[in-house]
Amino acid sequence: MKKEDLGDVIVVGGGISGIQAALDLATTGYKVYLVDKAPTIGGKMAQLDKTFPTNDCSMCIESPKFIECDRHPNIEILTYTEVDSVEGEEGAFTVTLNKKPRYIIEDKCTGCTVCTEYCPVQIPDPFNQDISKSKSIHIYFSQAVPLVPYIDESCHFLKNEKCAICESVCKNDAIDLHQTAEKRVINVGAIVLAPGYEAFDPRLRGDYGYGTIANVVTSLDFERLLCATGPFEGEIRRPSDNNHPHKIAWIHCVGSRQHIPGGNSYCSSVCCTYIQKQVILAKDHDPDTQATIFHNDIRSYGKDFERFYERAENLSGVEFIRSYVTIGKENPETKNITIKYSTAENGVKEEEFDLVVLGIGLNSLAGGKHLAETFGIELDSHGFCKTNPVNPIETTRPGIFASGAFYAPMDIPESVVAASGASSLAGELLKSRRGNLSKERVYPEERDVSEEDAKIGVFACHCGANIGRVVDIPSLVDYSRTLNNVVHAEEGLFICSTDAAEKISNTIREKGLNRVVVAACTPRTHEPLFRDTLREGGINQYFFDMANIREHCSWVHSKQKEEATQKAKDIVRMSVARTTNLEPLQEFDLPVNKTGLVVGGGVAGMTSALSLANQGFEVHLLEKDTDLGGMALRIPTTLEGMDVQKYLHELIRKVYQHPLVLVSHDATISDVSGYVGNFITTVKSEGRIKKIKHGIAILATGADEYQPTEYLYGKNDQVITSVELGEQIAREEKRLTDSNTLVMIQCVGCRQEDRNYCSRVCCSHSVKNALKLKEINPKLDIYILFRDMRTYGFSEDYYREAADKDVKFIRYEPDDKPRVEVVTEGGKEMLRVDVLDPILGKRLAIDADLIALAAAVIPSAGSRDIARLFKVPMNPDGFFQEAHVKLRPVDFAADGVFFCGTAHYPKHITEVISQALGAAGRAVTILSQETVTASGSVCEVEENDCISCGACISVCDYGAIAFHDTPKGKKATVNSILCKGDGLCNAVCPTSAISLKHYTDEELFCQIDAAI
Amino acid sequence: MEKIADYIEIADIIKEKGGDSFKLCYQCGKCDVVCPWNHFRQFSMRKLVREATFGMSEIEGEEIWRCTTCGKCSQVCPRDVKQVEAGIALRRIATDYGIYPASADPVRSIRSNLNGEGNPFTEERSKRANWAKDLSVNAFTEEMEILYYPGCYLSYDPRLKKVAAATAKILNQAGVNFGILGSKENCCGESIRKAGDENLFRQLAKENIKTFIDHGVKKILVSSPHCFHTFKNEYPEFLVNFEVIHIAQYLFELIQEGRLELTKEYRKKVTYHDPCYLGRHNNIYDEPRNVLKKIAALELTEMSESMEDSFCCGGGGGRIWMDTPKGERFSDLRVEQAMETGAEVLVTSCPYCIANFEDSMLSNKNSEAIEIKDITEIIQEVI
Repeated sequence: MKKEDLGDVIVVGGGISGIQAALDLATTGYKVYLVDKAPTIGGKMAQLDKTFPTNDCSMCIESPKFIECDRHPNIEILTYTEVDSVEGEEGAFTVTLNKKPRYIIEDKCTGCTVCTEYCPVQIPDPFNQDISKSKSIHIYFSQAVPLVPYIDESCHFLKNEKCAICESVCKNDAIDLHQTAEKRVINVGAIVLAPGYEAFDPRLRGDYGYGTIANVVTSLDFERLLCATGPFEGEIRRPSDNNHPHKIAWIHCVGSRQHIPGGNSYCSSVCCTYIQKQVILAKDHDPDTQATIFHNDIRSYGKDFERFYERAENLSGVEFIRSYVTIGKENPETKNITIKYSTAENGVKEEEFDLVVLGIGLNSLAGGKHLAETFGIELDSHGFCKTNPVNPIETTRPGIFASGAFYAPMDIPESVVAASGASSLAGELLKSRRGNLSKERVYPEERDVSEEDAKIGVFACHCGANIGRVVDIPSLVDYSRTLNNVVHAEEGLFICSTDAAEKISNTIREKGLNRVVVAACTPRTHEPLFRDTLREGGINQYFFDMANIREHCSWVHSKQKEEATQKAKDIVRMSVARTTNLEPLQEFDLPVNKTGLVVGGGVAGMTSALSLANQGFEVHLLEKDTDLGGMALRIPTTLEGMDVQKYLHELIRKVYQHPLVLVSHDATISDVSGYVGNFITTVKSEGRIKKIKHGIAILATGADEYQPTEYLYGKNDQVITSVELGEQIAREEKRLTDSNTLVMIQCVGCRQEDRNYCSRVCCSHSVKNALKLKEINPKLDIYILFRDMRTYGFSEDYYREAADKDVKFIRYEPDDKPRVEVVTEGGKEMLRVDVLDPILGKRLAIDADLIALAAAVIPSAGSRDIARLFKVPMNPDGFFQEAHVKLRPVDFAADGVFFCGTAHYPKHITEVISQALGAAGRAVTILSQETVTASGSVCEVEENDCISCGACISVCDYGAIAFHDTPKGKKATVNSILCKGDGLCNAVCPTSAISLKHYTDEELFCQIDAAI
Repeated sequence: MEKIADYIEIADIIKEKGGDSFKLCYQCGKCDVVCPWNHFRQFSMRKLVREATFGMSEIEGEEIWRCTTCGKCSQVCPRDVKQVEAGIALRRIATDYGIYPASADPVRSIRSNLNGEGNPFTEERSKRANWAKDLSVNAFTEEMEILYYPGCYLSYDPRLKKVAAATAKILNQAGVNFGILGSKENCCGESIRKAGDENLFRQLAKENIKTFIDHGVKKILVSSPHCFHTFKNEYPEFLVNFEVIHIAQYLFELIQEGRLELTKEYRKKVTYHDPCYLGRHNNIYDEPRNVLKKIAALELTEMSESMEDSFCCGGGGGRIWMDTPKGERFSDLRVEQAMETGAEVLVTSCPYCIANFEDSMLSNKNSEAIEIKDITEIIQEVI
């Protein structure tokens, strides 16, 4: 076996899930092969315009990860490659790969696309959902990695050996039309499967006329229509006449939630919210858009989804209508489409729309069966990857892990979490070989530029059409050349693409640049990438500034092109002025304490702790109670039938038995100090106080059940909560077997103004309780009073099963909630529930023996204190706030602190387990390092000017400033490692004694002077 | 305010009578939007289902009788509520109580005719084979290839007798050795079952089955998709399995086998209407079209709502016997749709559809604009 064919892990599928798994594993010290059958990595996320609920540009947040993979010394990317066979067993798999011919010699290709220009064969562009045209030879999309074209089967030469124009125009002889498939055999210890999903294809059944009616498009088509890199450069134009549609309908559940041949019985989990996103974006494009959304339940069960839904609903001209629909007709002249819908109030109505968007669901992978055979794993009844009921990341074959939508429909953050979880499990398996094959990234030596005059290069980005459509980029470049100290200026379609970034580092060397300004998007997503590019160019990474001409300019001034161009020039001029004064700063390495700390001994905390320990790290697990187990102690089973108590006892046993897990009971934290790699946490446990030194922390402080004040709870003992009901069912209490009628009321204490979120788990919990009750007392009449049934994913099957078992579901509106009162009838006291059934149009009175309230899941009492101690943020609802909703779903913004479980947001046990493994996976990316690097952009104090007022100390959120004694008295001093560089202290210092490096007064004043 | 407890008993009866699948409904409204009724008046299947779930159905009202059992809703129902089968439960209860609203009142006399003479008309059983006089049609005997079962409409209705005659002519031309049961034939019972009289259906079915067995019947040719449906899908409830074939299928078979030769041209533009019970209920869409496509010079055009989306004539579910006021007749709209295609002939393969379409043409202002034909009536012109 050649050295290059020996690795640790193969990740199959290069979408966001596969990318994250590869990055985590590679950072942890494993050699990874990242394999994708497509010509580039990126997956479905690359096709999306924006991502909910933050509406971040999808490509903009994903493409830096492409480059991170590309530059990572431990990742080998193999695109256009499929897995032929897998032999061996966990720890020692032999994988045979088949690299399809792309007819390009990758090493020679520069990605210049001259070949595409000359290619005579036009084909529908698959990246743009076939809406626009591409050529037989083309690069899949502008930010593709590798940035190399491929030739598809439409090529004249491949079909009948006619035409080889591309070969003759390529200046680098990079085209080889006789290339054949290549086999390659690699050895790895573990496999991560992240091959993704298929978008439901409505063409097959002709759903809603798709494929025959021009102006019916899928939601994925619509993503491309919205996107600045799409077929119309971000203008929404409809297929029939390329006109702007003004009245658009969205249809929910296309292919989902249905027992019809060719459809899926499950809910696809993501469509409700992506439709709301599309509505918001369509209104952004054209505020006069009339949007109608046809649905049967709005499933805003994710974090911040409920507010997102409200945001969409409250836009003018947006109407949500609770009805599935049918297409009436296509107007032969206008090509408009009529839709028939039905409401309880007005019956069937027919309404005309300019464009209809189908909310298509997620299908299991088309080649899933073949893939399962190749890898020797099993699929579930829906064709998704079958996983361990207590560990959604484990497939049926040891050593093979599943990640992302391959095992269930899920959105981006869950795919990312699963990826980190898969990384953690692979890490457990391969811990003895961690680091053996890994390589360090080697940068060129940093050039000393201290004696040089400023030589600034300006790189202006079109960002596809995002900026270029509004700002006159060539004119901006010309203008930049006239600015002082600018010695080079150029433009690029996507400066963040691999080739463009490489070009910057080459230009730095060739032109001797010592400062760089990139006029493009936001430093929030792209600054790390460009700083890295400067290092590649051999200059200090702090000689860099980003001029944000997208968020601050083209996006907000899209209608005023001339003024926007002028503003872009102003922004660049300011940036150049600041950049001239930038100083080189040094980052420094800190040793990493290889012990982990996990706060919270529930399922989440225990799972994280065990995974860290299984990867060879000592872990302190703190539990505030006397026993481990947390909320799960009160959950007897899951909807899918998992025996939670059995699982929990086994988990607790493993925790206690693991020599590397040190459990503290009855533990309270009184102080946390330190920083990533070197925390010191003071804990009082069972009467003793100890100081724990640790490198990372995982916060898993869980959640509580809301104690209702509604519906006579606490006043009448026949009113209980869902969790209490679950416990009573497990005990088969007599009051349950004796009862005739039980009413469950959903959304008690949430989805309302003071707790404006959905508790996610309650709909499935109630369905579970109902099904269990029907087992122990089949005669019991059960009524579930709900607002929207949010049995997302495969739980939808249980919702139907409950209906099939005669559980009755009654919808209520928030402005007319059910009423509960005690009535006496025939001498017997009973509870009467009064609710309006919207379809019957009648108020119903249900006399109940028992009422179970689906009480909200609320942050646990201790979470706020823990957040304060670790100086990490919470969202308005009191749940932990992640660093980035989509791509850093278990990280806090503060380095070295992670979270998992219901303290982040309510979730089901299997989701908790997945997230706990994910947090462990992320934590190990730090624990596995010898050192961590701290930023150079931190504050410093000019002691002579410090008057010891302490103002800086009191405003610092990170406890980074303290007094120290000097011969001249107490002076403030900054702990550079704790300092986050937010500059708050600078603003309050009365003598300007404290300053922030990289944002000094001089640098900023120059910038301001340039503005005025 | 309705007390749910007051309705539990009737809810249980509805379940017991076959309405169990109502419970599956999640109230999405899909049934309402595809229901042909929404072209004419407010009628909500969703509400009907919801009421039945809680036992709050108005058994004495008109609404439970509206459904023509066209199957459009059950075909697209995401929860598989089986509206057609479940809906009959409500009519069974009405039948048990002997309550019929004005529109369904004719069902009373239909029941007694079926009971007495085996047909829904005021016709004598003995005249059932009169249509076949002078047509060289024999009584069925065991060694024959196939039993031809024309059904009630083709036996008695003056318009539809022409279809029976055409069928006999074609069969003879193709050299098919067939026979009929004549007065021993009973109504198949399909429609009276849909109208809620389960007992009568069972009685008719049992008598037919007995007759079939007594005569050694193995294969049955039918002209009505309703007979087809009940023989094929419902008679097996009595643990019998006759081979059943509809004339549209049989024609295709005869042509394919070379037994029937189409020698003449039919130079007309034709549109084909899919009967609900042939199409949606039994998935037979291609054979009748393939037969028409074999005819020289015939131009086949499709209506906007065809195949799975075919628009019901209004005659199923027993509604062929009921009074539908003008302005609410499905067939009036359907013949308009046919005319919109520019077709000269509206062809179909169901006696109810033909009866309704002919009726609609009588009152249509362009009553000569389009001819109504059974598929056999075209074939007999080209052999």
